[in-house]
Amino acid sequence: MSHIQNSYENQKTNSISRPRYGCAIGAMYTASAIPGVVPITHCGPGCADKQYVSLAFYNGFQGGGYGGGAVPPSLNASENEVVFGGNERLKELIQASIKVIDADLFVVLTGCIPDLVGDDVPSVVSKYQEKGVPIVYAETGGFKGNNYTGHELVTKAIIDQYVGEYKGEKKKNVVNVWTEIPYQNPFWRGDLAEIKRILEGIGLEVNILFGHESKGVKEWKEIPKAQFNLVVSTWLGLSTAEHLEKKYGQPFLHIPVIPIGAKATSEFLRKVSDFAGLNQEKTEQFIQEEEKLYYKYLEDFSDFYAEYWWGVPSKFAVVGESSYNLAISKFLVNQLGLIPVKQIITENPPEEHKDNIRKEFENIADDVSVSPLFLEDGYLIEQALINSEEKPAIILGTTWDRDAAKQLGGNIVEIGFPSSYEVILSRANVGYRGALSLIEKIFTIAISASA
Amino acid sequence: MGKINLASTTVVSREQRLGTIISWEGDALKLVEESGYSVPGCTGKKGNGCKLCEINGPFTQGSVCSEQMVECQAGNVRGAVLIQHSPIGCAVSQTIYNSIYRNGLAMRGLPVENLKIVSTNLIEGDMVFGGIGKLEQTLNDVWERYKPNAIFIGTACATGIIGDDIDSVASEYKEKFGIPVIPLHCEGFRSKHWSTGFDATQHGILRDIVRKNPKKQEDLVNVINLWGSDVFTPMLKELNLRVNYVVDLATVEDLAQMSEAALTVGFCNTLSSYLAQGLEQNFGVPELKAPQPYGFAGTDAWLRGIAKITHREELCEAYIKKEHERVTPKIEELKKKLKGVKGYVATGSAYSHGLISVLRELGVEVNGSLVFHHDPIYDSEDPIQDSLAFLVNNYGNVENFSVSNRQPYQLYALLKKVKPDFLLIRHNGLAPLASRLGIPAAPLGDEHIAVGYEGIVNLGEAILAILKRKKFHEDLSQHIKLPYTKWWLSQDDPYILAKNPEIIYQD
Repeated sequence: MSHIQNSYENQKTNSISRPRYGCAIGAMYTASAIPGVVPITHCGPGCADKQYVSLAFYNGFQGGGYGGGAVPPSLNASENEVVFGGNERLKELIQASIKVIDADLFVVLTGCIPDLVGDDVPSVVSKYQEKGVPIVYAETGGFKGNNYTGHELVTKAIIDQYVGEYKGEKKKNVVNVWTEIPYQNPFWRGDLAEIKRILEGIGLEVNILFGHESKGVKEWKEIPKAQFNLVVSTWLGLSTAEHLEKKYGQPFLHIPVIPIGAKATSEFLRKVSDFAGLNQEKTEQFIQEEEKLYYKYLEDFSDFYAEYWWGVPSKFAVVGESSYNLAISKFLVNQLGLIPVKQIITENPPEEHKDNIRKEFENIADDVSVSPLFLEDGYLIEQALINSEEKPAIILGTTWDRDAAKQLGGNIVEIGFPSSYEVILSRANVGYRGALSLIEKIFTIAISASA
Repeated sequence: MGKINLASTTVVSREQRLGTIISWEGDALKLVEESGYSVPGCTGKKGNGCKLCEINGPFTQGSVCSEQMVECQAGNVRGAVLIQHSPIGCAVSQTIYNSIYRNGLAMRGLPVENLKIVSTNLIEGDMVFGGIGKLEQTLNDVWERYKPNAIFIGTACATGIIGDDIDSVASEYKEKFGIPVIPLHCEGFRSKHWSTGFDATQHGILRDIVRKNPKKQEDLVNVINLWGSDVFTPMLKELNLRVNYVVDLATVEDLAQMSEAALTVGFCNTLSSYLAQGLEQNFGVPELKAPQPYGFAGTDAWLRGIAKITHREELCEAYIKKEHERVTPKIEELKKKLKGVKGYVATGSAYSHGLISVLRELGVEVNGSLVFHHDPIYDSEDPIQDSLAFLVNNYGNVENFSVSNRQPYQLYALLKKVKPDFLLIRHNGLAPLASRLGIPAAPLGDEHIAVGYEGIVNLGEAILAILKRKKFHEDLSQHIKLPYTKWWLSQDDPYILAKNPEIIYQD
């Protein structure tokens, strides 16, 4: 089995079709996901639009919100800036942006052009910083990496250039949460809201940092005061947490599995509670209340799950970034008893984290072990899916995987970028409540396709 | 007479060929008077007579690039593959063009599938050492995986700057694979307007795909369009003519046989200008010289033009008569319902000219429009194709006519002034602002919705439906804070920063 799987990884070349991430400047959506923050893109005329229509539109139709979409000031660099450089034009654009755009913080992101022609963006931006303008910059030329790389660059830029130094007291029971990437994960708004809700449930004060439940840059200013950082992801956010540990002396707790369903969520909360030194009784009380409700709903669901005449599918594949892939696979295996037949990880995680990710999948349940594939190219992903030794009846993937699902005679549930045939507002897939809506989604799709 | 020169692999940009501008304000009549058909020599070719002054300012919001138009055209040809020789960021928009491709195929009743675009995925090291090796690898991957009938290679800003020689690679692989391998030079920074990307794709198709020794098909009409629904077949069937849709959703063979057609027509001069003239000048296929097919006047003239070239006048007159009789009562009904309604058109340039005619046929008041760019002249340089003049002459002036390249901050001031009940839009990014101001927009994703006689009815019905959505947008507008400063929101002149750029330095 491992031989066949490896053959796809060995077929990788530089080519990528049907991409499952943006480039580093896609992190303009990391910036605009913070309430009141507006990106300024220093790049060619199409870069910002490409990220917009892909990450924020044909991906759950999340919308550009306050500071994204067609709002961000952009240089629309022309031949002139390629030949003579773009420093002067950037200065002018920043000055004009301050006049026209109402932002609590501007984040300048660079594209390929300024990074290639060698514009001195730090010196342009620092002049404004010295004048007290809330503005930071990140060098995010597309050839530097994908929007996962960009996300960490922007996060770090805001911390270092805007939040700044802090030597004061820490606040007990306050946590900064680092987990999914806004917009790249089309469910980020709902997921973050649920994570915040459950952490508050056990007595924490939560800096969720992104989305409608964040207090924007005010909340970012509180980062250094938090008791600890919580990284809920396979690898993303770890380098941020390590940076914060050095910078502010903050410890961090790393939980690789985003919790979905009562089993995983209760376990997650106990770990956090333990690490933070919270009142155990209060934690258990919250868990009990949540589980009571959760299992009442599962009881209702069990009639369908146990005796739906026409059967419901068992074998599933997940195609997506490592964190969500792991989280969903774990939930479907451990709480629903479904059978994982193909798990493909698509965000190209840094080499040094791949072994840990593999280990998590190997130990997905006491009795189930999975060897994931690391593939980014849509062609190879499709080959791996359709030639799967055991055919998946449900693919939890993206729009790109619709054709594979059709060929396999199975169902497609779009859970990652791009999700062009989903409309997503506040829906979540994680925690107690998200798990229930994930169950609804999967089985609605499965049975509505049946007749 | 402008010549479409196919000797070079690089297309001449719109601003150089046509004198295209992306920022202007005034009324439609003034723009007609200042444009190329009225002002001799005003085609941007260093002519002295050109008065078309652009008013570019210090503030700009993100636009759209030529490479995106290459993706949406060359990337939507069936049986071909587009290689994006680029870092991964350029490839992210495969997402939108895939959605368009899938939905377009479904609308035309063709098998739905993912599009086939592959990025060479260049990274930092390639910027230093060049990306040709990776391009060759991707060419081989594409050949091995898909055995396509043609391969397009599009450039990106990054590959343009590092200077990868894609022309040589393309000729080498053309020999090797025995299929057209077509370089498309479409770096975003090379043109201020993305419509140059249409021309880049069409230039490549003319050079490398269109058949050089055509066998004439006297009943075949090239229809240059995008992915819209099939409204041209029923129309042209009445004249015993067959439709050859190009470029989107066409096969490579459909593109090759363009040189065999009796003539070429389009639904929008912005899109069809270059390809239609390229076919005329290099392959002897005449371009229809007529107004665009919108409203009664435009559609009548458009059909008669086709009939004249193809010698089908009698069939044509019978059809025109029949259609007038059929749709007139429907339009009268719609007019009653649309009485007192005010519309605003924010679309591509020539398309807006057509849509305003249709709105005026429906009795909808239109006193404002925003177009993303303006071509003072089209490639044919024939005054009959002056679509803006046709609009003004047949339907009157448009008081507030603005050229603004996808700048929502300007649209805010424009809408404040014009106060429409609804917007017609096509490109993304403007309707979200209108929505936040309580104004519904009808997005014309199917670009054929307003074409021909039935188009008048279609558009009327679409507007009636969209007006009902005012409830949603008005409610929303009561609960929204816009991302602009109080200062900007209090301005009445959308071009004030262009006229007085020093304002940005004042507190």
